[in-house]
Amino acid sequence: MVAMLSVSVARANGYRAKNVQVDVAKSAMKITPVRDWNSLSVRPGKKAETWTLDGEQLNDVTFYGGIVPGEPLIRETSKKHKPLPKFTSETLLVEIPELLEGTYRTEKGIGSFSVTSSNPDRFLGSDGIRFTYEYVDADNLPRKGEARAALIQGHLYMATFDAPRLHYFEDTLDDFHNLTDSAAL
Amino acid sequence: MMRRTGVLAATAVTLITSAAIGQSKIAPPPPPYAGAYQPQGIDEIGLWREGDEDERTLANSPILLRDEALNNYVKRVLCAAVGDDRCRSVRLYILRVPLFNASMAPNGTMRVYSGLLLRVRNEAELAMVLGHEFGHFEQRHTLADWKARRSSSDLLSWAAVFAMLGNTYQSYSNFDSLQLSVYGRLAHFNRDQEREADALGLGYLNRSALRPQAASVVWQNLIAEQEASALAKGVRKPNFNKVAFFASHPPSGERAAILAAFADPVGADRENGVTRYAAALAPWLPTFLDDQIKLNDFGASDFIILSLAENGWTAPLLVARGDLYRARGNPRDLSQAAEFYGKAVEMDAKLPDAQRGLGLSLIKTGRRTEGQAALRQYLALKPNASDAAMISMLAQVARGQ
Repeated sequence: MVAMLSVSVARANGYRAKNVQVDVAKSAMKITPVRDWNSLSVRPGKKAETWTLDGEQLNDVTFYGGIVPGEPLIRETSKKHKPLPKFTSETLLVEIPELLEGTYRTEKGIGSFSVTSSNPDRFLGSDGIRFTYEYVDADNLPRKGEARAALIQGHLYMATFDAPRLHYFEDTLDDFHNLTDSAAL
Repeated sequence: MMRRTGVLAATAVTLITSAAIGQSKIAPPPPPYAGAYQPQGIDEIGLWREGDEDERTLANSPILLRDEALNNYVKRVLCAAVGDDRCRSVRLYILRVPLFNASMAPNGTMRVYSGLLLRVRNEAELAMVLGHEFGHFEQRHTLADWKARRSSSDLLSWAAVFAMLGNTYQSYSNFDSLQLSVYGRLAHFNRDQEREADALGLGYLNRSALRPQAASVVWQNLIAEQEASALAKGVRKPNFNKVAFFASHPPSGERAAILAAFADPVGADRENGVTRYAAALAPWLPTFLDDQIKLNDFGASDFIILSLAENGWTAPLLVARGDLYRARGNPRDLSQAAEFYGKAVEMDAKLPDAQRGLGLSLIKTGRRTEGQAALRQYLALKPNASDAAMISMLAQVARGQ
């Protein structure tokens, strides 16, 4: 998710050193990075956190920790006028890509988003999903994405990676895989 | 403040002919075509150059819809509205943006959003919007607007200097009032330009082969859609007759009323081009509708689906409605979605998305066995689906099938 940059005087962006296990997204999900990462102080939502290497417009790894039924993935800019799709207790794992697509389309106001693949893949020790997508972002730059998600005790845990289709997606994809392979609850 | 000018008075300066005097309730015909136009003067040359640069980027945009059939069709509607000689100066670009809008650059670049194509219901409505945009181009509104903005900011720059020189509470207060006046006047100027473009668009439609009464319907439908959207969201519906101080366009209610009043009654029996429009849009309708549904605006999306269904329910429309209800996902929505998908399957059992939606909705409402059967149908119809592996786990497809 491309987070909005705002001048945040009170808090600087965080540093996630390699080989140090940390909690992410203020949840039970823990990540052990293999290399150093930046963790942005501006969070896309109460239960989301963005990590990046070169800046969130170039590589954006967002963790969603323990979304409960009734919540959107990210913070709504206006609950009444621009509501976001909500995760529900009936949401199936196969529908998680649609949830992400609806969130991105509504928040960014984009018209071009397609899920290119969607396969079962264990995540956080549970049956999960790994899906890929491509979209044209609000800044008119085509981006590609890959995400992993699992439903654990009715809560949604997800990690997404978005990067420009040109060069950056391929360049940082292995780093994303390393991060999510280390994910544990 | 500026005296208010009515639509006809604003256009009186440029458009009224002797024929219009006896027919003051009809939008006048456009002026005679003056021939291919090249920019004149440094301001206009500069604006066109900027427009050309933007067009270079636009021609390579990742959201440009390059489908020849659709582009040719929309271009044909434009030419039918404004005439072949005029439409030669326009390059049309259809963009995949799910909003109701179209725009015209001073150099002849016309942008039409896919959200507009989704919402207009026939050729006459589309011709109105395209004619309106062309009206901006013909009257060189962008240039006039740009000059007005330049004069306004010049005035305010000098006034700011004098306010500082005066350096009293009164001088700053006077400056604030002046600033408010000037920006308000600019907005009013924009609104008057929009009114002029509306009048021109209607004038084109009046003398075309299409029904001019359709022009007002575009705005009536938009008003109804916004009301439906507000109702579903539980917010107060907008006031469609109020002119906001800094509004760039006149309110929708005014536009609907004016366009209805000044449509030529002689044209009331002409055709709308409903069938031709539906046929041209058919390959893209599922895509544009899907883009709209995924914006999570339940009221507006349901309104659009129901209005499209006035010409008869089709399987893709039912699937779209099912998708909308399944996305909202309350238990009542899920059982309604199952009903819509079920009807779609009855109409067309070979539509993969109908089987997929039916399967998912049934599973989510506790009818697991039936749902799995529908999902197996989906996999049979679309074995290479991008989510085939996930669906087959859900459908518990036995090994070897």
